[in-house]
Amino acid sequence: MAIHDIHEIRILPAFAIARLGSSPEPMDNYDWSVPDPVGYRRLVPAETFYIDSNTGKILSRKKPDEVRFRDSKNRIRPISPFLEAWACFKKNGPLVPLTQKHLNELNLRASAVKWRVQLGNNKAFRRTKDPRDKILADTGFYSDFTKRLLLGRCDNFLKGKKIPFGFGQYIKPTPNFPEIRFRFTPAGGFVYGPPPTKDQEKSSTFRAVLKDIVYDTHLGHWKGYQDLDTDPTTTAPASIFANAGSDPVRSLGYLDDECDGILELELQLKTKKLKAFARIIAGPPTFAPDGAPVRTVGDELEQALLGTLLNGKVNRADIENILRRAMETVRLMNSSLMNHSVGMAWADSSQYGRASQPIMDPNVVDNLAIVSRHEQVLLALESGSLAWFSRLLRHYNEVGDLTDEGRRKMPALMRGADGSHLALTRRMVQKIQEAADLFQQHKHIVPGKKPKNNQ
Amino acid sequence: MKKASSIEPKNLTAQLHYRGEGNPPSSHPSTAVSNCYPGLEMDFRNVWKHIFEGIVLLEYSNLVTGVEPGADEKIQRLVSSGIQYELISADGIPMTAPVTGPFRHSPEKIHDTISLEWSNALAEILPKAGQFVLCKFQNNNNLREILSIDLKVRHFFDVDLNRNGKVVSQRVVIARELAGPGDLTQSLCSPWQNDYRECDCFYWAASRPDFVNVEPGKDGKSKGNNWMQKDRTESGDKKYISDAEDGIAGNPVLISYQDLFAAWEENLRFIIAGKDEPLKKSVKKVKVLKKKKSK
Repeated sequence: MAIHDIHEIRILPAFAIARLGSSPEPMDNYDWSVPDPVGYRRLVPAETFYIDSNTGKILSRKKPDEVRFRDSKNRIRPISPFLEAWACFKKNGPLVPLTQKHLNELNLRASAVKWRVQLGNNKAFRRTKDPRDKILADTGFYSDFTKRLLLGRCDNFLKGKKIPFGFGQYIKPTPNFPEIRFRFTPAGGFVYGPPPTKDQEKSSTFRAVLKDIVYDTHLGHWKGYQDLDTDPTTTAPASIFANAGSDPVRSLGYLDDECDGILELELQLKTKKLKAFARIIAGPPTFAPDGAPVRTVGDELEQALLGTLLNGKVNRADIENILRRAMETVRLMNSSLMNHSVGMAWADSSQYGRASQPIMDPNVVDNLAIVSRHEQVLLALESGSLAWFSRLLRHYNEVGDLTDEGRRKMPALMRGADGSHLALTRRMVQKIQEAADLFQQHKHIVPGKKPKNNQ
Repeated sequence: MKKASSIEPKNLTAQLHYRGEGNPPSSHPSTAVSNCYPGLEMDFRNVWKHIFEGIVLLEYSNLVTGVEPGADEKIQRLVSSGIQYELISADGIPMTAPVTGPFRHSPEKIHDTISLEWSNALAEILPKAGQFVLCKFQNNNNLREILSIDLKVRHFFDVDLNRNGKVVSQRVVIARELAGPGDLTQSLCSPWQNDYRECDCFYWAASRPDFVNVEPGKDGKSKGNNWMQKDRTESGDKKYISDAEDGIAGNPVLISYQDLFAAWEENLRFIIAGKDEPLKKSVKKVKVLKKKKSK
């Protein structure tokens, strides 16, 4: 059916994470499969778009033979996400991917869609509080299909210097691939900084570190900056920047090409202009790509959207997913070491003067034993295991309970965003508790769909 | 890659979970750590700094660090007098919790207070977006002085409002007012590689591995390598070498800050199924750079 109007436009995914890598070859798509309920996730090649970066056209869509995170020169392949335009053609109508065909029906060309990328790296600014230390890239609105460099500019940079944050590209719609989409490719993960001192000039190590010398020490004070004990607004943890050693911890003035920002879309129709935006971030690769953290930004967003209560909508796939992520975390953690003198065991003593003691009985905290315990819970959800697990969960307002019993709650040995022992989101805790209650009443819970196109 | 054909605009959960054609799992927020201290991909705590109209909060504690332009006189008081105020409750919900436990000088007990992480503490406030809630602020220097101010809660997600302020349409993108470009990553390490070497960052093990190549040792206990060990080719039981193994920070057998700054891609290995990624013949050996004495 021909369309006559667009009611609303959105960009999906609404929050995309790019991951740094210096290879010119973006990472192929892959998926997870779980052939063994307590085994590792398998990385499975998935259909990948291959782009001619000169024209912006998709040349083909196919599955690669294998999942390779590096190119032939050992460089890491960046994760370069696609962001799609979705449209709703009438009030309360469904959202569908916007295509060239839809634009044709409205007598519009692909160039009617305009994109704008604004990215920032405010790490130096966060510390120095000097707005001239903000590094910002802004493409302005544009509609061509070329690779658009995202150059971070800063008032305190040396003349003409910029930090590249990667590039954006409006993917040219074609008859085979008519959807309107944009691709963000992040930077290489390089380090930038100020000119070397006389000592540094002689050091080959120093020259190897910096991709470029960009920061003007006559204009800004990032080099030499120090987090002061008397300043209650330093970051937490404090002094987490490259420095020349302790006492005092002074910044070397290093910067990087991580960033976050906003991708905007505008579409001018005859009588109105439609707008949408999404958020994009460039962060480091996930170095154990066959697992996921126990508490994620996805969990935060879900709680912000849906609240802390389930209203009976607990499903098995959700529970399995949380327990699997807990297992994937402990598998790669030296639980014996973390039990005493480092990590939270150390933090309790140093922050609050707590008596220095192991968190768990050292005889039961070996990594293989802990992983095995998690596997048992995951394999036997309907047994009493989940009820046991649920009773052990730490509630968000119990993070300051540093008694023996309090410190042994789950997730154990890990730090939360408040610097104290980690609690899951309240919604995650609620999911596990509701499922445990249902099992105890010998009721089945709905299997639940595996989260669609995700996790 | 299953192609999504349509999504109901009101099905926000489906939109939140949507990964996009051609995008691997690690492009989705469900693979990004959120126990941010300070975080890897972003410091998600920054999203809460502007959740109340008129004030700016510190990302990791309940301290008021600023007021927004145009804020009324009562709000201005929170920063104008040189006194520091902390948000202790919102809509009757505490923003802090007690710290208890055995003090190092037995039989004394710890009596302290911790400010709760915003995401969980504010979870019941978010549904009141667009409304005013009573916020109580405590004077840091005079704990008896409490300022009570009604503050409007911002919408967490991007919304369209009608004339009466009622939400008529919502999207799953975090509202612009909460964070500008660069704000979500601002409190991360600079450069980010620092975070792979800072001590005690093992609470992100699923994406920044710690204990790798783990297998049962001769005594039946787990043996494995520290992900930061340069050499993992030993025969017999594997040995996890920690940063403080030789009594000093900056153990030279571990990858150093300089190694990471100069050649992180060569020095950091992907861990698949708990083991080091196999290196292809064409791949160079892990590059060992000169250790810098100062760190």
